[in-house]
Amino acid sequence: MSEAAVTVGGTGTPDAPDVVMGIDEVGSRAAAVVQNVETVIAGKRDAVTAALTVLLAEGHLLIEDVPGVGKTMLAKALARSVDCSVSRIQFTPDLLPSDVTGVSVFDQASRRFEFKRGPVFANIVIGDEINRASPKTQSALLECMEERQVTADGTTYVLDLPFTVVATQNPVEMEGTYPLPEAQRDRFMARISMGYPSPADELAMLSTRETSSPLERLATVVTLGELRAMIAAVQHVFTSQPVKEYAVELARATRDDRQLRLGASPRATLQLIRAAKAHAAMHGRDFVLPDDVDALAVPVLAHRLVPTSRAVGAHDRDSGPLIDAIVRRIVGETPVPVGSARRI
Amino acid sequence: MRPDLMPLSRAQRLALTAASFLFLVIATMALGPLIAGSGWWWLCAFIAAGTLFSGFGLRSIRTPPSLVPVLELVVLLLMLTLLFGGGTSIALVVPTAGTFETFGELMAGAQRTIEQQSVPAVPVPPLTFALAVGTGLLAVVVDILVQTARMPALAAAPALVPVLIPGFIIEAGADVPTLVLTAAAYLLLLRVDVRVRRRARLAAGEEGDQAATVIAPKRVPIVSTFGASLGLAAVGLLAASVLAASTPSVSTSLLLGSPSQGTLFARGVSPFIDLGRDLRRPEPLPAFHYFARDGDRPYFTLLTLDRFEGEVWAPTERAVDGDNTVDQMPRPDGLSSAVETSEHPIDVVVDEVRTTWLPVPYPAARIEGLKGSWFWDDGSLTVRSVDTNTGGQSYQVTRLEVEPTPQQLRAADREFDDELASFLDLPDEMPAIIGETAAAITASAASPYDAAVAIQAYLRGSEFDYSTEAPVEDGYDGGGFDVIATFLETKAGYCVHFASTMAVLARESGIPSRISIGYTQGSPTDERVDGVLRIEVDTHDLHAWPELYFEGVGWVPFEPTPGRGTVPGYSRPGAGEEGAPPLASTPATGPGSTGRPDIDPDTGLAGPVVDPVATATQLWIRTGVVALVVAVLLLVPAAFRLSRRLARVRRIRHGERPADAAWDELAATAVDLGVGGSGGETPREFAARLTGREAFGDAAARAAVVRLRDAVERERYGPDGAGTPSAAASASLVDDLATARAALLADAVGAERARAILMPPSLVDGVRRVLGGRIARGA
Repeated sequence: MSEAAVTVGGTGTPDAPDVVMGIDEVGSRAAAVVQNVETVIAGKRDAVTAALTVLLAEGHLLIEDVPGVGKTMLAKALARSVDCSVSRIQFTPDLLPSDVTGVSVFDQASRRFEFKRGPVFANIVIGDEINRASPKTQSALLECMEERQVTADGTTYVLDLPFTVVATQNPVEMEGTYPLPEAQRDRFMARISMGYPSPADELAMLSTRETSSPLERLATVVTLGELRAMIAAVQHVFTSQPVKEYAVELARATRDDRQLRLGASPRATLQLIRAAKAHAAMHGRDFVLPDDVDALAVPVLAHRLVPTSRAVGAHDRDSGPLIDAIVRRIVGETPVPVGSARRI
Repeated sequence: MRPDLMPLSRAQRLALTAASFLFLVIATMALGPLIAGSGWWWLCAFIAAGTLFSGFGLRSIRTPPSLVPVLELVVLLLMLTLLFGGGTSIALVVPTAGTFETFGELMAGAQRTIEQQSVPAVPVPPLTFALAVGTGLLAVVVDILVQTARMPALAAAPALVPVLIPGFIIEAGADVPTLVLTAAAYLLLLRVDVRVRRRARLAAGEEGDQAATVIAPKRVPIVSTFGASLGLAAVGLLAASVLAASTPSVSTSLLLGSPSQGTLFARGVSPFIDLGRDLRRPEPLPAFHYFARDGDRPYFTLLTLDRFEGEVWAPTERAVDGDNTVDQMPRPDGLSSAVETSEHPIDVVVDEVRTTWLPVPYPAARIEGLKGSWFWDDGSLTVRSVDTNTGGQSYQVTRLEVEPTPQQLRAADREFDDELASFLDLPDEMPAIIGETAAAITASAASPYDAAVAIQAYLRGSEFDYSTEAPVEDGYDGGGFDVIATFLETKAGYCVHFASTMAVLARESGIPSRISIGYTQGSPTDERVDGVLRIEVDTHDLHAWPELYFEGVGWVPFEPTPGRGTVPGYSRPGAGEEGAPPLASTPATGPGSTGRPDIDPDTGLAGPVVDPVATATQLWIRTGVVALVVAVLLLVPAAFRLSRRLARVRRIRHGERPADAAWDELAATAVDLGVGGSGGETPREFAARLTGREAFGDAAARAAVVRLRDAVERERYGPDGAGTPSAAASASLVDDLATARAALLADAVGAERARAILMPPSLVDGVRRVLGGRIARGA
């Protein structure tokens, strides 16, 4: 398997995939990956699927939850299942931007400055506890996420593709955190939360991980080339006009909703459709259904929306996160398109 | 939650209730041409208001929706008790067993009155009761449709009942202005409903009209406009008028009683059948008995035949006039004040006779003590009921005895009012013997009176025998020309022949005549009550006699039948000769006095009489037609639904987007069975919900739904959705649809299936979709 070369000053277009992959193949490979990851993260199929969806859609994933529920484990397991480079950045308040992107050091031997690549130069970058870093450092990572390149000392280094950041974040009210502002949350394609495992899953975990980390035993099921082929196949998934209209209608509904102060951005609509394509492909389908959009509406839209203070005040906390409930309500109320057929 | 199912505010409910009320009472106005007066309409309005607004009140206090119709029916019962219960209720409104008995009698009376009254009917209590019950039930149905089911468009179906009925009974059908008003009220109801829905939708946070412009969604918001409502109303009314126009053959006679067939006693005694049958009876049945304080013993008239059409004597059809109540009867036609009259009260108690015609002496001044609604006929002063019969009646009739002198009769003018011209009508073709006989008898008569006396004397003469044996040719037992001619030759017959012959000869001589059917004076018994002799009249006293008209005196009975009844004093030969006092009437004596004929006179004076079996058959036919019409009306939604299903199947086989059509049909079936989804449900979710049902435990049904789902998803959202599918694919779609529908139907209980067939809710969704779609494109 050839490693994709780092192209200095390149255009950033993805390389041609090594293998051409049919949509059914994408589906079966995706299922294999999900199954593989699930051997270490039991009972979290939704989270695993969402993570793989984001990877295939070339987006970035934000995992928000309390410490110790397997956020990092999920990211690592995903990376290990796909034979690609992984790096991990533990964000701390004193972490500098160059600790993320890399730094130019003077090489005594060659007597010139040489760029030492930071951990961001990997296919999957795990950013642990991203909200513990200073805003400046956060911004450095976020620039890489958006531009898919690193600029240092006037030289632009294009990042290897695929490039996906899986950032984890503790709930904002915890101490020593710098919450991500709305504009930066918008860069993440999806946000998921892991949630606590069920007692049975937790019990199973105790026995399997008593002695060693299961990650070490995790096999690779998809090569990097195959991953690229899958990503290419996802890009060719067909999105019909009614489904596009449906996505637009959902976004419009969030902007007009009385309970929301900030609605979904056009970027959100775009990412919703991209994610829906990946979701369709993972299910072996070469076209997007409204169901794909529905399934991803909460992970893709929820973290971008800001509820009104009145809605927050009126919300019953026992019934789950407010924003998720609002998104689900909007999805339920928005009519599903039926195409332009003549009705009888 | 779907906005249109949001709970309504009190004001919205009130608006819907008021619109329903207006719609119903205006539709009820369509019955106007059928029923006299307007009192009945106010009653209907009261009942409708009570029912509908009680429903509103019940909903305002959050009564469970399923209970509301039941409680509305209870309110209806209380109102009916208040209005019709009479003294049988507790505290005026609480019904007792007696109340229900009264209701039963009223319903039976209503059936009779509908059979016997002609248009416009007199709103007698049984009829108004039936109207009140009908209106109340319609109100409950309308309320269910508008408020519970929220399908006000279907409210047109119950409202069609009053709108269509006139079309079945009178050719003109309902008034056009009423139809227009009904349409307007229907529009108003739809309009109110649309406003209510829009308000509910806005309250749910959607943005109104824009929602419909984006795409054609599964649940199209109701963004109806006046035009759209108008279109729907027009379709409904067009259907109504087409239905009404296409049933002219269902004439009055089928739905109401049919006086045109001569069956004046449609459900009771047919006078000529019974005339013959009762005369033949070995043992007579008591008809009625009476007590005459003054010793008065008149004939009792049941009905009068005044039209002679050559073969048949028939009564003139007249509508019952609701003003002609028997408590005050008019002075008889043609009776001048110069003629001496006296009043004699007679107490009559009916025994066995059952007829809608009351035995009453002619003329009567008034009748008291009758149960039910009885009215006198213009001209003949015969008395009939529209809602009951003589069974169990006991009444006091005040007879007006007319005692003309022969001089007064002789002085009668030969000129008559035009009204009387019809009593002189004789067909053109007449056997010569009739004219010759009349001329011979009356040659020496100086006046019509003398001619009449001569005719009676001729028929009572020794040449004529009261005989029921000769002649015995076929058809002799009628009252037609041929029979009369034969009778004049053979000079033997019984009362119908004597009466009809005298009537015809009188007409031939220029004297207006008619035939009365009724009873002779009966036989006195030994029994006395309060010193008054009880006189019994039985079936052997049935009789027919002629009445002749003399200007200034009016209708005067004659008795040409030898050996029967009483010969009036004024009609005896030599009466009124110089110095002679008016002669007393003389009862007939002798062996023929019972007048019992020995031959079968079943076919009597009125020509073809109606076989009771035929009458029963007609009743069945009538009931059948009504049932058929009701069934057809009930099946209209089912027919629409079926046509849509067939259209979809055609689309599956031949049209574009066949999977779409198949899926629509499956979804519509689910909606019909009450398991339809909301507009936010995708095909995949819908399929998942369906296959989760018990009936889809069968793998074949599940697979069929999944194949349908995949096909519709690919068609709607796939890259090559618009391509024309192969015939095989279409056929498999049809099969899959059939399998899935069968499973869906198998999953439903009988009542759900019946509702799905008879009142398919998917039709309403379809109408909404059409309306919403049109507006969305036009916006």
